[in-house]
Amino acid sequence: MSEKIVFKSYREMPICAMSVADMTWNLTGSWRNVRPYYDFKISPCRLGCPTTEDIQKYIYLVTEKHYEEAWRTIIETNPMPSITGRVCFHPCMDKCTRKDFDQAINIPAIERALGDTGLANPDWMAKASASKKQKVAVVGAGPAGLSCAFYLARQGYSVTVYEVDRALGGVLRWGIPEYRLQNDLLDEVIQSILESGPITVKTGTTLGKDVGLEELEDTYDAVFLGIGLTTSQRLGIDGEDGAGVDPGLEFLRKVNGGEKVDPGKRVAVVGGGNTAMDVARCARRAGSEVTVVYRRTMNEMPAIRDEIEEAEREGVHFHFLAAPKEIVRNGGKLASIIFQEMKLGEPDESGRRRPVPIEGKTFTLEVDRLFTAIGEKADLGCIEGLVDCKWNLITTADEYGRTSREKIFAGGDVVTGAASVVEAIAAGRKAAERICRLFTGDGEPESGEQRTIGIEDINTAYFERSKRTLVPRIPPEEAVAGFEEIYRGFDKELLHREADRCFSCGVCNYCDNCWIFCPDVAILRKTDEYVINYDYCKGCLVCVTECPRSCISTREEGK
Amino acid sequence: MKPAKMPTEEFMTSGHLACQGCGATQAMRFALKALGPKTALVIPACCWSVIDGPFPHTSLKVPIFHTAFEAAASTASGLKAGLEMRGDTETIVLAWAGDGGTFDIGIQALSGAAERNENIIYCCYDNEAYMNTGIQRSSATPVGAWTTTTPTAHYKKRPKKKMIDIMAAHSIPYIATASVAFPQDLIAKFRKARQIQGTRFIHIFAPCPTGWKLAPELSVSMASQAVTSRIFPLLEVTENGLKWNVWKDFEPTPVQDYIKAQGRFRHLSDEEVAGIEKDVERNWQEVLAREKLSATIPGLDP
Amino acid sequence: MKKVIMGNHAVSYGVRASDVKVISAYPITPQTQVVELLSEMCADGEIDAKFIKVESEHSALTAVVGASAAGVRSFTATSAQGLLLMHEILHWAVGARLPIVLANINRAVGPPWSIWTDQNDSLSQRDVGWLQIYCESNQETQDTIVQAFKIAETVKLPVMLVLDAFFLSHTFEIVDILEAEQVRPFLPPYSTEVRVDVEDSHSFGNLASPDGYFELRYMIQKAMEQSREVVKEVDREFGEHFGRSYGLIQPYRCDDAETILVTSGTVASTTRAVIDQMRDEGIKIGSLKIRVFRPFPFEEVFEVLSGAKKVAVIDRNISFGHHGIFFQEVKSALYGRTDIPIIGFITGIGGRDVTPTVIREIADKAMGDESPEREINWIGVKR
Repeated sequence: MSEKIVFKSYREMPICAMSVADMTWNLTGSWRNVRPYYDFKISPCRLGCPTTEDIQKYIYLVTEKHYEEAWRTIIETNPMPSITGRVCFHPCMDKCTRKDFDQAINIPAIERALGDTGLANPDWMAKASASKKQKVAVVGAGPAGLSCAFYLARQGYSVTVYEVDRALGGVLRWGIPEYRLQNDLLDEVIQSILESGPITVKTGTTLGKDVGLEELEDTYDAVFLGIGLTTSQRLGIDGEDGAGVDPGLEFLRKVNGGEKVDPGKRVAVVGGGNTAMDVARCARRAGSEVTVVYRRTMNEMPAIRDEIEEAEREGVHFHFLAAPKEIVRNGGKLASIIFQEMKLGEPDESGRRRPVPIEGKTFTLEVDRLFTAIGEKADLGCIEGLVDCKWNLITTADEYGRTSREKIFAGGDVVTGAASVVEAIAAGRKAAERICRLFTGDGEPESGEQRTIGIEDINTAYFERSKRTLVPRIPPEEAVAGFEEIYRGFDKELLHREADRCFSCGVCNYCDNCWIFCPDVAILRKTDEYVINYDYCKGCLVCVTECPRSCISTREEGK
Repeated sequence: MKPAKMPTEEFMTSGHLACQGCGATQAMRFALKALGPKTALVIPACCWSVIDGPFPHTSLKVPIFHTAFEAAASTASGLKAGLEMRGDTETIVLAWAGDGGTFDIGIQALSGAAERNENIIYCCYDNEAYMNTGIQRSSATPVGAWTTTTPTAHYKKRPKKKMIDIMAAHSIPYIATASVAFPQDLIAKFRKARQIQGTRFIHIFAPCPTGWKLAPELSVSMASQAVTSRIFPLLEVTENGLKWNVWKDFEPTPVQDYIKAQGRFRHLSDEEVAGIEKDVERNWQEVLAREKLSATIPGLDP
Repeated sequence: MKKVIMGNHAVSYGVRASDVKVISAYPITPQTQVVELLSEMCADGEIDAKFIKVESEHSALTAVVGASAAGVRSFTATSAQGLLLMHEILHWAVGARLPIVLANINRAVGPPWSIWTDQNDSLSQRDVGWLQIYCESNQETQDTIVQAFKIAETVKLPVMLVLDAFFLSHTFEIVDILEAEQVRPFLPPYSTEVRVDVEDSHSFGNLASPDGYFELRYMIQKAMEQSREVVKEVDREFGEHFGRSYGLIQPYRCDDAETILVTSGTVASTTRAVIDQMRDEGIKIGSLKIRVFRPFPFEEVFEVLSGAKKVAVIDRNISFGHHGIFFQEVKSALYGRTDIPIIGFITGIGGRDVTPTVIREIADKAMGDESPEREINWIGVKR
């Protein structure tokens, strides 16, 4: 800052009106009545992500070509981005502000690219050693269990994973067909998790048979139950148990296990969820004519939209507003199914309109095989009487998976009922976090204020409209011929093209606008942040308007 | 932090006397970042005569010679000649005038300098009225605008003078329009101008929140909308006034949004706004036509 | 080298001898030959200067202001309307303390249009802060240009050199032409530290509050006062170099004169002839040419006139509503120090010839009248 020059005599003055100092003595901050200040928000995509991946941050890091840091950012909340990048139902995209401008960012494609890059660079994964004395048992090696194990192990806690199957992965392995998630990739991801810290695996071990919950409780300092839903729901109609009618999950398990299957020429799949889609598409790959019958309409289908569209592309037929009423066999062989026609009535507790039968209206579908895919339920015999349950699910006290027993935690589908991979990952991570707190005595985690922004907070003048970058794919006719992965990942060019579309809602990505447009040179561009120099900021608030992403808030001076 | 989107060296200091959200200061800051330390300014009467600060202080880190209202171009001509005769052929002499000092009182000296093809850059920062004296109309004031000498009952009925056409008619090597809302473009144009010998004219659209009855925070946004609504096309005229190149690669925004956001147009009826929209479209088409015409002139760089 | 040249060319030769770096001018009768010859001199490389051929006198002076602000020696020439168009910038040159030299060929101001001489153009610029030197001969004109640069650069004020239209500007006389090499030891190349320079950045002429403006103006007046000695010193030094000196004033046969006619410009020459004639008649009369009008040589004028019984001031100008301007100045020089009657005469306005007869009439009138100073004496008006 300069000194204001005041001449005491003409003798001190230059010969003409000529400057001898700058104006920085003039603290124009005193003109200000409203103060701008940096105030980052949480991007809506992050709030939309069940495991609160810091999506804005990793996309920003991609734009800056800091791939490793970007990958680390995901790993903070999700140990398997390669998998979620392929199979997640990406609720983040529904929250993406850009969808209100042109099209949401292809977040899963970016996540997948980073996850795959992480797998290709195994040295990125820090290897934790057993630095803490506590031990934890994780029962079930599905997404919840693996996630919980990962976040405990990286803190230095020893984890033993108990899995009923020979191979780890749970629903990831036997519930998701290879054209969506290749087994090799799954193996790689699981391997990377197992290698990240002190994790021991006990496969082929069934809870309640090979090992008891109380035994685990005694042996370990904490137990996490991520045992998922293993039993298919029944249709509850006559003839369900006879030939030609099978749970879809079993069919999927065979297909995923590499077994040769012959579902028959004409296949009907009952259900509207992802399992139904997977079953239908696997049956298509086995050469069947497939019809999916669902009791509501397409709008109510719980399956991921992309999966429904993909199924349609692959030639799966859909029949809506119908429910199986009767199974007709001819000589012990399935002949046809009589369906009751439905209509949509009042909304039920899920908010979807309840299907109600239309009196006297039925139709018959001649089929060789019927797969049921109307949901799965948990098998809780192993913990009966030990942990509080309700509606055939484990009851938890909060999102951190605390059960009725202090040392026992639970998460994933066994708590929520049929949900998603990412929700299971989130539950596993949160339980791990709570277990750590149990060990350290830190108590309940704090939940901070979660302020976000919307399209109205974006200065769209700074963005050109552009279409979402799609991942390359193999054509449907090729896809349906086998189990090759349909979608390919982004290459670097596509990755950057899409990452560059991100608005970076509410979080500074160093676009320089505030610094550029400050008419008073009152914003300083430091090494890793901008700083407002309140000595000179006149409070014009141009920075607030010109921040494309609403990172600057205001408050009246003196208040 | 990423690499900066514009040069980080500052030639304008804090503490200057501009109003909140002043476009003229942004324009100066950008221009000097583009031109660098070997720049000498000639500033006639305009907001910048005050913004600079009171004697014996200054807001700029490059020399300024303040001159009379109508004398920017001629003083700059002399300063450039003087510097050259002193052996300094490197310094860029930048005449920096407001719209009044350019469109009105200074147009004679400017025309003279341009006709002589003086080796100077002449920049008009246009805030569309005599703002320094308290918002009186100039020939750069747009049709429909209120000023203190065009009160709402008798708002300005005549259109803004087509300064670029006038300058193009002088066959000077480089003419460009720029906007404070598009600093990278502005900086690129000044850098381009820096490499050219002869008279270079750059017309910068620089909003005045005070004079436009506009919240200061909307200053840059208005500058941006002036461009995207096609009221103030960003263009370059090269090849001694013959080759017009107009920026068209943007999503157009409604003229109405621009007009309605500013208090100086608040008195206009919907029909009057519609009339302005029509004028804007015609002028835009005229500029495009000029660009097309350049393509038909033999011997111009494609 | 001696040459017979016109007064306007004497200006050009003076500029040539002064190593001027930037010239800017706009043509106006009767100044045109000044710039025509300078254009040729620049084009031929006789002068190493840039000549900016502007579109108006206003631009001519502002260009010269700009050049001078860059720290180089700069020159312009004009006349009448042109000078008046420059008016604003005349002030600017002073406020910016720029040592510009301007040659003004005295011409009457319109309307009606007149191209002939009188002093109202330059004298109406009396208060802007320029030094004003009125020349009488072509030699003096050339020499004064050279002196003017030295004076201006010493006191940091601009100098206006004034010569009568046609009577001097277009009159051919023998002039001992000065060459630049000859002049350089007297007038070295100009350099200043107060200049527009990217290596030493300052803002010149920005807004000054009442707190600073007052002192800046005080300093201009001080410089103007100091310039009196500077003019004398420069003139003396010039004499040492070239054997010619002109003084602030030029008294002629004033030692025992009872009546002194005060003159300026070419009228001084005519007056001297009349003085000689009247001296031959035994009349104790002399004349005083005022060469330097600004700063006004109060002491020198008083010294010469205080010995006389009567003073007659011949003005080729009129300050409407007051009197002849030299008359006022002379009167104020004597005010309170003597009670000699001072009589004012207005003549030669708009180029009307001031012949020996006119001068004689003035002299006679001055000597005969008892108390004529109260009224303005218009000589030659067709009543």
